[in-house]
Amino acid sequence: MDEEPERAKRWEGGYERTWEVLKEDESGSLKATVEEILYQSKRKRVIESHGQVRLGMMRHVYVVIDCSRSMEDQDLKPNRLTSTLKLMEVFVDEYFDQNPISQVGIITTKNKRAEKLTDLAGNPKKHITALKKAVDTVCVGEPSLYNSLNLAIQTLKHMPGHTSREILIILSSLTTCDPANIYELIKTLKSLKVRVSVIGLSAEVRVCTVLTRETGGSYHVILDESHFKELLMLHIKPPPASSSSECSLIRMGFPQHTIASVTDQDAKPSFSMSHLDSSSGPGLSLGGYLCPQCHATYTELPVECKVCGLTLVSAPHLARSFHHLFPLQAFVESPVENLQGDRFCQACQAELKDKSVSG
Amino acid sequence: MKLNIEGLLVYFPYDYIYPEQYSYMLELKRTLDAKGHGVLEMPSGTGKTISLLSLIVAYQRAFPLEVTKLIYCSRTVPEIEKVVEELRKLMEFYTKETGESNNFLALALSSRKNLCIHPEILHANIVVYSYHYLLDPKIADLVSKELAKKSVVVFDEAHNIDNVCIDSMSVNITRRTLDRCQTNVDTLQNTIHKIKETDAAKLREEYRRLVEGLKEANVARETDIYLANPVLPDEILQEAVPGSIRTAEHFVGFMRRFLEYLKSRLRVQHVVQESAPQFLKDIFEKVCIDRKPLRFCAERLQSLLRTLEIADIADFSAVTLISNFATLVSTYSQGFTIIIEPFEDRTPTIANPVLHFSCMDPSIAIKPVFQRFQSVVITSGTLSPLDIYPRILDFRPVTMASFTMTLARTCLCPLIVGRGNDQVALSSKFETREDFAVIRNYGNLLLEMSAIVPDGIVAFFTSYVYMENIVASWYEQGILENIQRNKLIFIETQDAAETSMALEKYQEACENGRGAILLSVARGKVSEGIDFVHHYGRAVIMFGVPYVYTQSRILKARLEYLRDQFQIRENDFLTFDAMRHAAQCVGRAIRGKTDYGLMIFADKRYARADKRGKLPRWIQEHINDGSLNLTVDEAVQLSKHFLRQMAQPFRQEDQLGLSLLTLEQLESEEMLQKITQIAHQT
Repeated sequence: MDEEPERAKRWEGGYERTWEVLKEDESGSLKATVEEILYQSKRKRVIESHGQVRLGMMRHVYVVIDCSRSMEDQDLKPNRLTSTLKLMEVFVDEYFDQNPISQVGIITTKNKRAEKLTDLAGNPKKHITALKKAVDTVCVGEPSLYNSLNLAIQTLKHMPGHTSREILIILSSLTTCDPANIYELIKTLKSLKVRVSVIGLSAEVRVCTVLTRETGGSYHVILDESHFKELLMLHIKPPPASSSSECSLIRMGFPQHTIASVTDQDAKPSFSMSHLDSSSGPGLSLGGYLCPQCHATYTELPVECKVCGLTLVSAPHLARSFHHLFPLQAFVESPVENLQGDRFCQACQAELKDKSVSG
Repeated sequence: MKLNIEGLLVYFPYDYIYPEQYSYMLELKRTLDAKGHGVLEMPSGTGKTISLLSLIVAYQRAFPLEVTKLIYCSRTVPEIEKVVEELRKLMEFYTKETGESNNFLALALSSRKNLCIHPEILHANIVVYSYHYLLDPKIADLVSKELAKKSVVVFDEAHNIDNVCIDSMSVNITRRTLDRCQTNVDTLQNTIHKIKETDAAKLREEYRRLVEGLKEANVARETDIYLANPVLPDEILQEAVPGSIRTAEHFVGFMRRFLEYLKSRLRVQHVVQESAPQFLKDIFEKVCIDRKPLRFCAERLQSLLRTLEIADIADFSAVTLISNFATLVSTYSQGFTIIIEPFEDRTPTIANPVLHFSCMDPSIAIKPVFQRFQSVVITSGTLSPLDIYPRILDFRPVTMASFTMTLARTCLCPLIVGRGNDQVALSSKFETREDFAVIRNYGNLLLEMSAIVPDGIVAFFTSYVYMENIVASWYEQGILENIQRNKLIFIETQDAAETSMALEKYQEACENGRGAILLSVARGKVSEGIDFVHHYGRAVIMFGVPYVYTQSRILKARLEYLRDQFQIRENDFLTFDAMRHAAQCVGRAIRGKTDYGLMIFADKRYARADKRGKLPRWIQEHINDGSLNLTVDEAVQLSKHFLRQMAQPFRQEDQLGLSLLTLEQLESEEMLQKITQIAHQT
């Protein structure tokens, strides 16, 4: 891995056997360490992702956050919950940056129950405030995979067929308390084409392996905080669309931003439609984005028009989503024998040990 | 793929091969070449069975005159089925590769309902059946006696072979046995009366045959047709049945007398232990039964049952048992002991007299096998220390080797937890068995593990009594309640139906994510026959060292015998026995290279070299100084780290070239060199 895991104070850590990691690296080629394998698969992922595949650009993702007792564990600093919520803020930000025409909702599960923290929405601010508030949650009881998935399905199944339906579970506990047979629910998820991915914070749990395998999602377990972040960021890229998903043309509106100067006497302040339902924030403004169909005012994009239901985006948003479809060309690997010149890194003078180099 | 093993062309029905499989086949071939016996240890899940089958079948094809038959002995019916499945795969591969339909005949004997008695089975090239068909003199006589000398015998999962041998030669007689025997004898008498009235000639014919003696059997043995039966020693064959039991009535009368004598012996108030000669002397003094007729008892009974044309021999099991006992006790003056106990140790108030005629020398039962067949291979996942098996079974192997698992990632994690968090030494030894601090710390260990290990945990205790005590104590201290927040708890009991129910529910809980703990007992059903693949066993915790109950008189007698006859010290044998059971228990969790699991030895005594050194090499090599004498906390940290590492994606490509080879990779110079290092010669 390229970056050192960042930790707060050494003395706060549990028993760590850093010397053993070193020893493993040195020992003969027979004991390829897990890091090596990880590194290989990471490289492979980079190379593989360049095929021309259809991606589910309009995503509806429910993130399920485990808030059970095991989230109080302090192996992530300061504890698993705080660390997860911090990373989630980054995730939400990044997610909307890369997927401007997608939506996210957050579900928490504890005490054998699942609750919606935020509904599916395209506004990062709302989520982030909710996440910030959630830091004070008391972690109790066991999580319930069944209830969380069920809650997510209730909303996701009404989403149009051309969008990608996803659930991302951040699971810390190794046990789940379910009211019914979860394998039945997995079948339902499969038939609804909901993709479920899991990030485990402790270890590999069988039911998650089956869940992700059946629904076509991915299952990863974190090694440390930096790895956690890396795994979370993997979910920012839109997944390949399943071949059976519908495709249809979608009407979109590109509203123009109008700003009326304060000096203009004709300008009348108006309420932003997106602020109607929330009490927070300044609702009254002079300018904004006007829906090309019904002229409702919005202060932010992207949004679905409250009045006429048109999807309002700006051109740069679409362009940003576009780059997932046409990524950079991959480097061409050539065997190290063909390399002219010396086989040392120009920066640190370390010998190049890889079997192939990019050119 | 087609392999070249020291000049022998071996068809191997898979595209990839583990390096240790290749190495294993090499050793096996050397054993066959030398026409000797071998002891081979290779971890479970590395394809022992298919390596064995491919090599021996190839050998049979290459040298049809050297090896005519493979006799594959396994322990349980599911294991036999697995062997047959692999064999089928191999045969299909042969047909595909060579293009000709093969004329190999394989035969599996599993249970009576599948039993085939067609004479063709004598010509089968491969016979797969249970140990008992070869070792138990009563069954061996029926099934195995005509197997050719040029056969290769394989005992798979043979880590308990000495106990199987002993059990097959030992006889326990209770009052019930004697009562049933009495009924048998009465039936015999009635039948004789009936026959005498209708067909006296038949009995006369039998008498004539007995006068002529057992010459026939003797001829057969000399001309090498039959496998020697340890119940039927050589001397008997050279003599005629003595006059006193030659007629049917006399024999029945003789049996009655013997029965009465046994009944009188069972009326004891205190424990009696005596040797076979003492017993014979006593029986002569009390009821004037000589040694000689006793020795012919088993043979005479068989003859009588044949003459009377009794179809259902199972009804006569009691009288057969008694007559076998009579023959054994009068034949072997050494290697056996007779113990008569008026009651069981646990229930000293209930009279339940038992006469144990116990075999102390496993080599008696297996001796004919070693003598008769040119190659006998003993193999298992846990046979360490290798050198003790030849000693207790009394044979001279030409090859002894222990193979390790080559791994692309370290998928097993043995930890020796010697202390609690409060630094109290953890041990199941007798003095601290009742110690609350130890019990609490054991509970704490299980609690902490239940919080960090996903899905299934199997915990083994040293005995049922110990488990009951500990669990009761945990309940009082509220530890069980805490554990149940993380996982469900299931307990193995002595009732087989209850246990299989618990097992089923345990697997269900592992499957659907609730997680479960199975509390069971080393040497119990769970520890021997049941595999906990993948999520069914992510961790095995061994609470204490599973020493056998040392106060048993039978065991004491056996230990004494081992010391006197084989110069094996009591302690060495006990430790060996405890460690092989511990290895069996923890080995339940790893059933292949993609599997992973924690092995936790919770007793500080495991850290000592004499214990650690007796673990199989494939476990031992992963125990480094850093995993000795840990506290519970340290063990938890290591486990957490291990489980996270193991949860990272692992595909077949990652194994390729390291622990999984294609043919080209196998043939590279470098790999061949590595392979020679895998086998650990002792």
